[in-house]
Amino acid sequence: MEEKDLSNPRMGVFICRCGINIGAYVNVPDLVEYAKQLANVVHAEHNLFTCSEEGISAIKRGIKEHNLNRVLVASCTPRTHEPLFRAACEEAGLNKYLFEFVNIRDQCSWVHMHEPEKATAKAKDLIRMGLAKARLLQPLAEIEMKVAPAALVIGGGVVGMEAALNLANQGFDVHLVEKESELGGLLRSINKLFPANKEAVKLFKPLGEEVMNHPKIKTHLSSEVKQVTGFIGNFNVTLDGKSEDNQVTVGTIVVAVGAEPLKPIGQYGYGKMANVITQLELEERMKKGEPVGQNLVMINCVGARVPERTYCSRICCMTAIKNAFLTKESNPKAKVWILHRDLMTYGVDFEDYYRKTMELGVRFIRYSLERPPEVVGEGKLERIKVYHELWRREIELPCDTLVLTTPLVPAEGNQNISRMLKVSLDEFGFLLEAHLKLRPVEFAMDGIYICGSARWPTDVTEGISQAYAAASKAAGPLRMGFVKAEAINAFVDEDECSGCGICEVLCSFQAIELQDRDGKRVSHVNEAVCKGCGTCGAACPSGAISMHHFTDEQILAQVQALFS
Amino acid sequence: MNKEDGRKSVLVIGGGIAGIQASLDLANMGFKVYLVEKSPSIGGRMAQLDKTFPTNDCAMCILAPKMIEANSHPNIELLTYSEVEEISGGIGKFRVRVKKKASFVDRSKCTGCGLCQEKCPWKVDSEFELGLGKRGVIYIPFAQAIPRVATIDKEHCVYLLKGKCRACEKVCSAKAIDFEQKDEHIELRVGAIIVASGLGLYDITSLTEYGYRKIKNVITAIEFERLTAASGPTMGELRRPSDGRTPENIAFVQCVGSRDFRNKAYCSSVCCMHATKEAMLAFEHHPGTKSTIFYMDMRAVGKRFQEYVARAKKEYDVTYVRGRPGRIEVDPENDNPIIWYEETISGRVMSFEAELVVLAQAMIPQITKEFADILGIELNEDGFVKVPDKLAQPLDTTKPGIFACGYVHSPRDIPDSVTQASGAAGRAAEEIASLGSRGGE
Amino acid sequence: MNLEDIIKQTKTYYCLECGKCTSICPVSRHNSNFSPRLMLERALMDSEGELVHDRELFSCLTCYACSDLCPSEVDYPVFTQKVRSLASGQGEHGDCAHSGVLFSLMRLTAHSGIKQKRLDWLDGCRTTQRSEVLYFVGCAPYFEPVFEDIEVSPVNIARNSIKILNALGIEPMLLPNERCCGHDLLWTGDVETFKKLAHINAEMIKESGARKIVFSCPEGYRTFKIDYPQYVKLDCEPVHITELLAQNLSRLPLQPRVKQEGISPEVRKVTYQDPCRLGRHLGIYEPPREIIKAIPGIELVEMEHSGGESICCGTSVWTNCSSYSKEIRIERLSEAKATGAEVLVTTCPKCQIHFKCAMVDKGAEKGPDIKMGVTDLVNLVANAMETRE
Repeated sequence: MEEKDLSNPRMGVFICRCGINIGAYVNVPDLVEYAKQLANVVHAEHNLFTCSEEGISAIKRGIKEHNLNRVLVASCTPRTHEPLFRAACEEAGLNKYLFEFVNIRDQCSWVHMHEPEKATAKAKDLIRMGLAKARLLQPLAEIEMKVAPAALVIGGGVVGMEAALNLANQGFDVHLVEKESELGGLLRSINKLFPANKEAVKLFKPLGEEVMNHPKIKTHLSSEVKQVTGFIGNFNVTLDGKSEDNQVTVGTIVVAVGAEPLKPIGQYGYGKMANVITQLELEERMKKGEPVGQNLVMINCVGARVPERTYCSRICCMTAIKNAFLTKESNPKAKVWILHRDLMTYGVDFEDYYRKTMELGVRFIRYSLERPPEVVGEGKLERIKVYHELWRREIELPCDTLVLTTPLVPAEGNQNISRMLKVSLDEFGFLLEAHLKLRPVEFAMDGIYICGSARWPTDVTEGISQAYAAASKAAGPLRMGFVKAEAINAFVDEDECSGCGICEVLCSFQAIELQDRDGKRVSHVNEAVCKGCGTCGAACPSGAISMHHFTDEQILAQVQALFS
Repeated sequence: MNKEDGRKSVLVIGGGIAGIQASLDLANMGFKVYLVEKSPSIGGRMAQLDKTFPTNDCAMCILAPKMIEANSHPNIELLTYSEVEEISGGIGKFRVRVKKKASFVDRSKCTGCGLCQEKCPWKVDSEFELGLGKRGVIYIPFAQAIPRVATIDKEHCVYLLKGKCRACEKVCSAKAIDFEQKDEHIELRVGAIIVASGLGLYDITSLTEYGYRKIKNVITAIEFERLTAASGPTMGELRRPSDGRTPENIAFVQCVGSRDFRNKAYCSSVCCMHATKEAMLAFEHHPGTKSTIFYMDMRAVGKRFQEYVARAKKEYDVTYVRGRPGRIEVDPENDNPIIWYEETISGRVMSFEAELVVLAQAMIPQITKEFADILGIELNEDGFVKVPDKLAQPLDTTKPGIFACGYVHSPRDIPDSVTQASGAAGRAAEEIASLGSRGGE
Repeated sequence: MNLEDIIKQTKTYYCLECGKCTSICPVSRHNSNFSPRLMLERALMDSEGELVHDRELFSCLTCYACSDLCPSEVDYPVFTQKVRSLASGQGEHGDCAHSGVLFSLMRLTAHSGIKQKRLDWLDGCRTTQRSEVLYFVGCAPYFEPVFEDIEVSPVNIARNSIKILNALGIEPMLLPNERCCGHDLLWTGDVETFKKLAHINAEMIKESGARKIVFSCPEGYRTFKIDYPQYVKLDCEPVHITELLAQNLSRLPLQPRVKQEGISPEVRKVTYQDPCRLGRHLGIYEPPREIIKAIPGIELVEMEHSGGESICCGTSVWTNCSSYSKEIRIERLSEAKATGAEVLVTTCPKCQIHFKCAMVDKGAEKGPDIKMGVTDLVNLVANAMETRE
């Protein structure tokens, strides 16, 4: 990058109309005129969509033509578009940290839709403040860090195994950690898998063998991860003493710890009456070839789509339908009823399977949350009473086996994983991905990826797709061999530092620690791990810690600009 | 090109969100990616949407960064307005012939200023606007198109057909118009191919009971999206076709052509959610709008979907009626559609008058038998890509080295398509790497 | 055959309980006690007793409006037909109109020894003893006296049909001891009698050497085309007269309208009622329309619901005819009047009978004006032909 004279700020302002999202509520041309008369602004323009190719070209052109050394874009949100505009600056030869983003959409036009004049005035304030900071921006350099050429996969179920195999087949070393003494996860209890009705063991057993025999995979059975420190490219993982290796270093981590079916204790006589079982328990009976009864009633959505647990577990309708199909197939005289509150047989195969199950004579009854079914029988299962919502009457079904279809709930270990890896949980306890739509297999924490039911209930087919996806993301840094760390981080003025240690205690990422400098204790920031959250900077009583790109001077300049 | 290069490259067919995601993942893994898209711009179906469930993110706002990234990634070569003509060879060494269709515009000169499309005197129905709006015969398909260059549609260009006009050439300051341009054929060598050609729309005109194209105020869900999208033909004003009034009472009819043995037996999977979303959008555009959704099963199975539906009921005044309408008629006085249905919970046969009806049109895989034959892969009876063993290799096609993802694989929403796209990338990478380890290919 | 078999045969198990059938059913619209979906629910919930003993089982018009739209392709009319045969076995028959006299006549003809004198109306028609073409008369001679008071003449339809065939150069043969086709018995569950009729008719037709059977009545046509082959062997081709005419329009000497009973010579606009058996049952929508359009001086205007969306005339197989049936007829006739047509043309004698009945039987109610001419298409055609002796 050519050296630019940065001492004399030459600022370019690009204001986005965002179609009508901003343009209909804020007088953008007015903003451009306003910006032009502010100090150090040598160029200002507006674009219909600054993020479009046209807009990006305009930024690059502006930088070149006007020899800009600071760029301000006033548009939408940095959450989605900051990397984009920064990249545009870089491509035009400007260090990307000389770029400032002002949000005049989410924080202005969208919330003041009914007061366009005030919105425009506010937008002017925001731009003025942004420019005040931009004047003081300095170029920053990102650090490149080497990536340890290995991956860790936590969880040895089908999903974990597929992720491990995908990575290993790409040529990377993989450590696969499984807490049970054998591989296979939940599938070990499953009888057959929909929609092909394939025996589960025919899927997970060969996979397990492939994993155990793979030269690139080191499998740690009966082991759990005890501690993880470090950061993308360099995670130090401590396993619990049960396997040979106690410590491994990996570049990326894939979490595939799965989920557990809910045991509906206290509902419908579960735990008290004989032959009131869950779908999983039914599978186990069917696998062993045990009799499953002549009059089966299945109740769906037990413990799911209820006020205490509002979500739909996605795969249970198909599980129930599969088990009903298999029951009828082997015993055509059996009567099977499925009581449901919407049948989630989406897509091609599931809808087709549902219809085939109807052909075999399985009957479906819609019930409502307001009038749930009741078990009738003195200590012994005799009948199920249910209000048939679409027939508008209460009926009684003879029943010798009551199967409760329950949701998958987050695995017990999720809290631990969350703490250890510093990844979030959602309100139900499932692990939370970075962005629901566009980053579904990544965590917000760099270098850690998620797949399978640990994130959200999923069936085998989707889980395997997710495993490939997580593996392909995990392979990225491993293939490249290095990663870059964001340059917005904390830095310590060692002369000012008193060595009090408050920062070290407060840091949630363990990125700062006290070190010895010729007998004096001072704080040292590990720039690779530091996330730039600013907690230490705010807490430091000596004012020794500053945040790159958010220095006190820059922030105070913004405050001053607001009131000027 | 020698054999080695082939294994470092992957062809991705289809420039929608799935194709873009697969390309980005492969590019980030160090592969060279050729992204072939038959329309002039990448973006696909998602670019036509207003917002996306369940976050109600603005679709273009989250798509555009990915589109730009794909365009600027050093490892990705965009081949838009291009089609795959022939494929030979096998995994590790596919030879692909791509036709880059003549757009009659020199892309290296075109600045995307858009003056030509403004000045073009001939207007035709815009495919992007689903016929609700027009475009010039020389056009940029939508504002955020990538690459942002003009294309001349030779089927309608008056100069190419009759020798008259050339208005675009006169106004083009970059001198980018080139009526002599010819189709170009190039040959690529790739190690693997990912099919991500996306989602098509089933023609529901034959389902005459719904009155589509007979009753003006009966529209499809994706037409609704164009009406609420800020960049759409009405600039984001939801106006009904007959009189341009804002509808305050909207009915959504689900499963039109789906879950129907006479049309498509399968479930299109995303309509329950997009109807909910559209009802919320209508309310946002015009608070107080009442929406009613006529459904059979409310398939809100994904993450946060149940909560989304609950929010729609509670905060957006959306009512869900369980009943599949038998017929839609119209009141000639006010052009209001009238829906005949059985409210199955109460058993009453009723009619419902709405100001606008939105039909959840069945969605189909966007791939023809002819193209599948070119690729050498099989389709199943519904036209989706056939996967030999869904439980063992869910993203494989019947031809080794060719993988599929997104709606062309099976009905799915954006998050699941994005996941599958990354998955297909991972699968392609794995298979190519395995070739090396198996030695001697 | 038990209920489980019926469910399998008619694909009732695929029912998604969506209510599309009930929403479109003309009976459900007026009679809240009846719903196709409700009947299917009972079958699926093994409630056979309730199903066969419900009077409403016989309210279904078997018009196929529901099944044409059913996303699960459940054959609801055949389901109804077969459940009615179970019901019949338990003594249920529905409420039979006209004191059951018509059914008695039908059953009488099932006796093998019966001898009828049923061809006295043939004046003006040329027939022959032996021909490749057989004209099936149907119940016309028996309906004639029963419906005289509402000015419907089924025999006239038969006569005009033969005259038209003559104009095409065809001299059909007739069966002097023809039996009821059995349609009404089959659809009310009396399968045993139906089978007897089928066997007798099939035997007579075989002996006659006919290769083609022409029908004016769509119910007879449907019965021979779809139902008979399940029970007997027929080596000839059933065809409806409108199909035959539509194929030979250029050979018909059609003149502009001349005076005919009850219809003024200035008639210009007519509308067409698709009979359920010809339309939705057999898919024949265009041939009658082509014929009407070919008649000079006649303009065809369609009702709001026509073709596949046509609404039934309101009563089927003379059973459960009630005030709801009348409401359906009034609804349909109002639609016919709204077209501005002066005459309602149909190709089914029963449609004609039911519509005329509604016009005559208005009783004391005030209601929409539903009086208009009702006639069979063959009458319209015959009148437009240059009749020659």
